[in-house]
Amino acid sequence: MPDLLESSDAGRRDRELETPVARSETSILGPDAKVEHSLCECTPPILLFQHVSKWYGPVIGVNQVTLELRPGITGLVGHNGSGKSTLLRLAAGLMRPDLGTVQIAGHDAWAWEAKRHIGYCPELDTFYEEMSGRRFVQTMARLCGYPRREALRRTEEILALVGMDQRADRVLGGYSKGMRQRIKLAQALLHDPELLLLDEPLSGIDPIGRRESIGLFRELAGRGKCLLISSHELDELEKLTDHVAIMAAGRIAAVGTLTQIRDLLDDHPLSIRIASDQNRALAGLLLELDEVVGVDRDKRFLIVRAKNPRRFFERLGELALDRMIEIQHLETLDESTHDVLGYLLGAKRS
Amino acid sequence: MQSLLHYRPWQGTFRSAWWSVWPIARVSLWMLFRRRLFWALYAAGLLLFLMFFFGAFLLAWAESQLAVSGQQFGRMLIGIRRALSILNGSQSTFQYFYAYQGAIVVVTLALVGSVLIGNDFTFKSLVFYLAKPIGRWQYLLGKCLAVTIIVQMMTTLPALILYGQHAFEDWNYFTNVDYFYDSDNGKGPASIPLLLAVLGYGTLLSVFFSILLVATASWMRRTMPLIMVWMSLFFFLRLLANILVDGLKYSARWRLLDLWNNLTMLGQACLGFYHDDISPKPQPEFWEAGLMLAGVCSVCLIYLNRRTRGVEIVS
Repeated sequence: MPDLLESSDAGRRDRELETPVARSETSILGPDAKVEHSLCECTPPILLFQHVSKWYGPVIGVNQVTLELRPGITGLVGHNGSGKSTLLRLAAGLMRPDLGTVQIAGHDAWAWEAKRHIGYCPELDTFYEEMSGRRFVQTMARLCGYPRREALRRTEEILALVGMDQRADRVLGGYSKGMRQRIKLAQALLHDPELLLLDEPLSGIDPIGRRESIGLFRELAGRGKCLLISSHELDELEKLTDHVAIMAAGRIAAVGTLTQIRDLLDDHPLSIRIASDQNRALAGLLLELDEVVGVDRDKRFLIVRAKNPRRFFERLGELALDRMIEIQHLETLDESTHDVLGYLLGAKRS
Repeated sequence: MQSLLHYRPWQGTFRSAWWSVWPIARVSLWMLFRRRLFWALYAAGLLLFLMFFFGAFLLAWAESQLAVSGQQFGRMLIGIRRALSILNGSQSTFQYFYAYQGAIVVVTLALVGSVLIGNDFTFKSLVFYLAKPIGRWQYLLGKCLAVTIIVQMMTTLPALILYGQHAFEDWNYFTNVDYFYDSDNGKGPASIPLLLAVLGYGTLLSVFFSILLVATASWMRRTMPLIMVWMSLFFFLRLLANILVDGLKYSARWRLLDLWNNLTMLGQACLGFYHDDISPKPQPEFWEAGLMLAGVCSVCLIYLNRRTRGVEIVS
């Protein structure tokens, strides 16, 4: 079941969303994880966020996020600065929440014991540039707690898995972005973790490598691993999973399958501020539309509350063209919903 | 679909997170050993060691040659004999050796601190470490171990070779604690107490420098700011302490500002020097110098504790 949260403080809308908010505190599972669902109910979640907030000085990075992840692939999308990377770092135990708790398989994410269960592939691209890929992965294997021989064996297997075994002796400074991504992925997979946190893992990888990576992610999910994959591009994630979490302004604005989010969004009235050269006429025309719930006047603006925003914007465009109305200003007042909508419309276009 | 994964399940037990300290140190050392600058500084330190190692032979030969020439080179002979008394393997030998070698260690650490530690913070490689099942203190300990190895390579290891040289020259040096008193050839203990003192002095330098370098390099990550911080700590504070105590005749406790003086004082205490033998005078008490160094180390550790929590923000 998808959940649609919003950051607006409009009381009425909050009341309308009361039930979905509560539901967001239960597990989020994609349709591909239904098999595991019965198993999940009797096992603790791999990743659990409980009312987690994180500030960077006066700026809020993550705002009251409650999330549960069990096996399967979950996509995490959002604009730059929406809080995706912060969420992943909190999950990886690289940050401590200011409020709330983050748990990995029952351990506090900040504790080193939790990290046995995590494979983290950060977005950053800086390594020890003079070190070879093989040595880097080998060092990471030793840090995982494997004895030398096992670390060597795992290094070779993982390098072969990510297609870097032939090129691993080159220094990292000479790697392309795609090769760096593969090495980062290799170090994350080394210890066969239950939870994989992948920050933009497909960025910079060539089409063949991308297809292989997607196949690998699916196979990991099939083996009961939990993958949380962040990306800017929804269409890229759609190839991997239908189950996404959309982040906006530090909050999880929507969670569920894309179809479910779209349906929920359609039922959820959106406030839009419009200014035109014929406000009075436009208000009358808009009130005739099925999608419009109400229209208010605010100085030189119309505040329109509309359901099914995708359909509404199409109709608004048609009206403006047919009646020669000049739209001077168009703005959605709900940032979270706006972002969700932006992503969904973007995905639809693609 | 063909399986991509070929994990063989790991049947063994994972090693404790403390085992990660060595791989962390090894990576740091590997990065450092690739730098020519380090080897140039190490070579400078080695030259000093060679002067101590072969100096005694050279001076003994010079003494024998000049003695033949009679009074003509009298003054030079006195100088040579004084130098020989320093190079006789006594507490003075190691005091001078550690003092000179320590100065090179300070310069080396200030120059390589950013490679050893600072780069992890600058380039955020720290994320890779901390995403693995190790604690923050294990990471810091790994870095401290790397610094310790460098300090030991430059001080304790050559000092032990010097000790070995004198022990092989005269086995009594190794077996007789009162070797110098019996032979009237110097002061202080010999044998195992001297060996332990040499190790103690090296350990003191290693512990202090490693904590100080890890703290300052995680604060000032680039080389130039790090050099300036170390210059302030070891040069300007020394200058200030000298002005206050020797120039303005303030209390000897103001000399505690001079960290290098505190280190050498404690080192000399290890080597068996008495408080009155230590120059320049006046000097604070040994325990005061120890307390000062412990205080500096505590401040560094408190800072590191906060800094590793702060890593979350910068990474």
